[in-house]
Amino acid sequence: MLLEVRDLHVEFRTRDGVARAVNGVNYGVDAGETLAVLGESGSGKSVTAQAIMGILDIPPGRITGGEILFQGRDLLKLKEEERRKVRGAEMAMIFQDALSSLNPVLSVGDQLGEMFVVHRGMSKKDARARAVELMDRVRIPGAGARVRDYPHQFSGGMRQRIMIAMALALEPALIIADEPTTALDVTVQAQVMDLLAELQREYHMGLILITHDLGVVADVADRIVVMYAGRIVESAPVHDIYKAPAHPYTRGLLDSIPRLDQKGQELYAIKGLPPNLMHIPPGCAFNPRCPMARDVCRTDEPPLYEVSDDRGSACHFWTECLHG
Amino acid sequence: MPEPLPQEPYTSGGGRAPEDGAIAATGMGGAMDLATSEGETLEKRPGGPDGTGPWDRPRSLWSDAWRDLRRNPVFIISGLVILFLVVISIWPSLIASGSPLRCDLAKAQEGSQPGAPFGYDGQGCNVYTRTVYGARTSVTVGVCATLGVSLLGSVLGGLAGFFGGLSDSFLSRITDVFFAIPVVLGGLVLLSVVTSNTVWPVIGFMVLLGWPQISRIARGSVITAKQNDYVQAARALGASNSRILLRHIMPNAIAPVIVVATIALGTYIALEATLSYLGVGLKPPTVSWGIDISAASSYIRNAPHMLLWPAGALALTVLAFIMLGDAVRDALDPKLR
Repeated sequence: MLLEVRDLHVEFRTRDGVARAVNGVNYGVDAGETLAVLGESGSGKSVTAQAIMGILDIPPGRITGGEILFQGRDLLKLKEEERRKVRGAEMAMIFQDALSSLNPVLSVGDQLGEMFVVHRGMSKKDARARAVELMDRVRIPGAGARVRDYPHQFSGGMRQRIMIAMALALEPALIIADEPTTALDVTVQAQVMDLLAELQREYHMGLILITHDLGVVADVADRIVVMYAGRIVESAPVHDIYKAPAHPYTRGLLDSIPRLDQKGQELYAIKGLPPNLMHIPPGCAFNPRCPMARDVCRTDEPPLYEVSDDRGSACHFWTECLHG
Repeated sequence: MPEPLPQEPYTSGGGRAPEDGAIAATGMGGAMDLATSEGETLEKRPGGPDGTGPWDRPRSLWSDAWRDLRRNPVFIISGLVILFLVVISIWPSLIASGSPLRCDLAKAQEGSQPGAPFGYDGQGCNVYTRTVYGARTSVTVGVCATLGVSLLGSVLGGLAGFFGGLSDSFLSRITDVFFAIPVVLGGLVLLSVVTSNTVWPVIGFMVLLGWPQISRIARGSVITAKQNDYVQAARALGASNSRILLRHIMPNAIAPVIVVATIALGTYIALEATLSYLGVGLKPPTVSWGIDISAASSYIRNAPHMLLWPAGALALTVLAFIMLGDAVRDALDPKLR
């Protein structure tokens, strides 16, 4: 395993109380593998990613338990300075909104080159040359001419390519993409995802793709973990999940995808709202919204039951869900 | 990189047509809130319709601000006045002959005459010469106090804002304490014990009482800039704290500091005059408008020219710096474009 998250707990201490954002998450990704992390806002998917990268705001955030093993080392035990050297060089992150993730007062060439200056101690001139190479790599037309342009002078899709180029600059072993295409329109989304998938194959990187877009996931992911209220509720190879979900929440997500053959009908939506992380319901966190919920769901928290060798579901009634 | 830039991005067609189209309409998306005028970008970037028009150089907040400033009459006028002040404070002998300290009591309070267009003061000193030489003091005090205040204030405020926590609370309480000291009263108390004849105690006093103002602003704008996604992105890509502060936060947080500092410069000049007028600021033989105004105030009925010229020069200087600060503020505020 390239990266393994084991029993990770993260909480945020606020004035109103403690929000338990991540409650015992386990997942792993291999080199060359794409893991999709799926979930609503507030499900803890981004917080887990921030904990892996080490960019969680502490305080108010606090990692209260677990391990993050990256190439065999527990990242949580490293000193901040060692961790900083891992970031960017060995693992990198692509953010959702490339416009706000690029510094408006620096040219894109400066920002791309910064990677080489910070981690490789290159001269500004060499770094600039490498920046042009990178921009070529992510297929930005006229890279040599545009390297001096500022972020706002690029279109959304081009900006996201620049973010990808920045993340790829030092050929990290792991890339975390936090909703990389959410801010883009559909045609551009596909191009950016294709590019990301292609570069991933080429460099044989592990990719953690955080998203709430099931359409994006189906094309590129190898495995999916579905998160709800800071826990993993289902973990499975991508095709199994689409064929037959083993958790009512996953089923709800799949049913909420608009489909052409249902034109004119009302869209399905999972009733209710995600739980308040300061007051996660006892038992299964999903029970207030679950169409299958029974008494046991309100009292006993389901473990991640083994559905098959490479598949798990945190539902007491996963067999029912899987077959019906 | 050779200029003019080549045209590929807009002429290359091929498989990625939608994307290419999207670049031509540079930054259609969320770019409106950025520091550039969107209309300008759209109309100028693609060059002429035949593709021969030269491209604008890529612009940043600063080059945009500079473009705005060059067209702003307020900036041009105040800039010229300030340029003139700076030149005469470096080389006062360019427009005034003789020494401001050579006085002839026989000519005391005499009015305008050849060689002394502003007349003579109570000690028989040439008011014109003294007014010209007074500019040096005012500009020195204003510039040095502003530099000191900005440096101290933005370093302390910036660090407090960046690191937050205990250091921030500590600094905020200290600024509160300094804010509570009335400037004039503080000056009367602190400066009355100083015996030095130079401008430095006055500058030091202004820095001591002025830095909390800048520190608050720097703290606030660093906290705002710190929350930007690109700061987190830079951190995720392995940038160190110092690099994040200097390269990603400072350039995005410094604008409000510059604006307030420019406006404050004018008020420091006025404050120097106030303190000198009260007798605790600069002391003769230093030539200062404040000292001259103070000396002239007792003769205001029979020789008003003694008061009017240094006071006018002071008012003009303060006004020029405040106007400059206003123009800079407008230019650096993208919302006003």
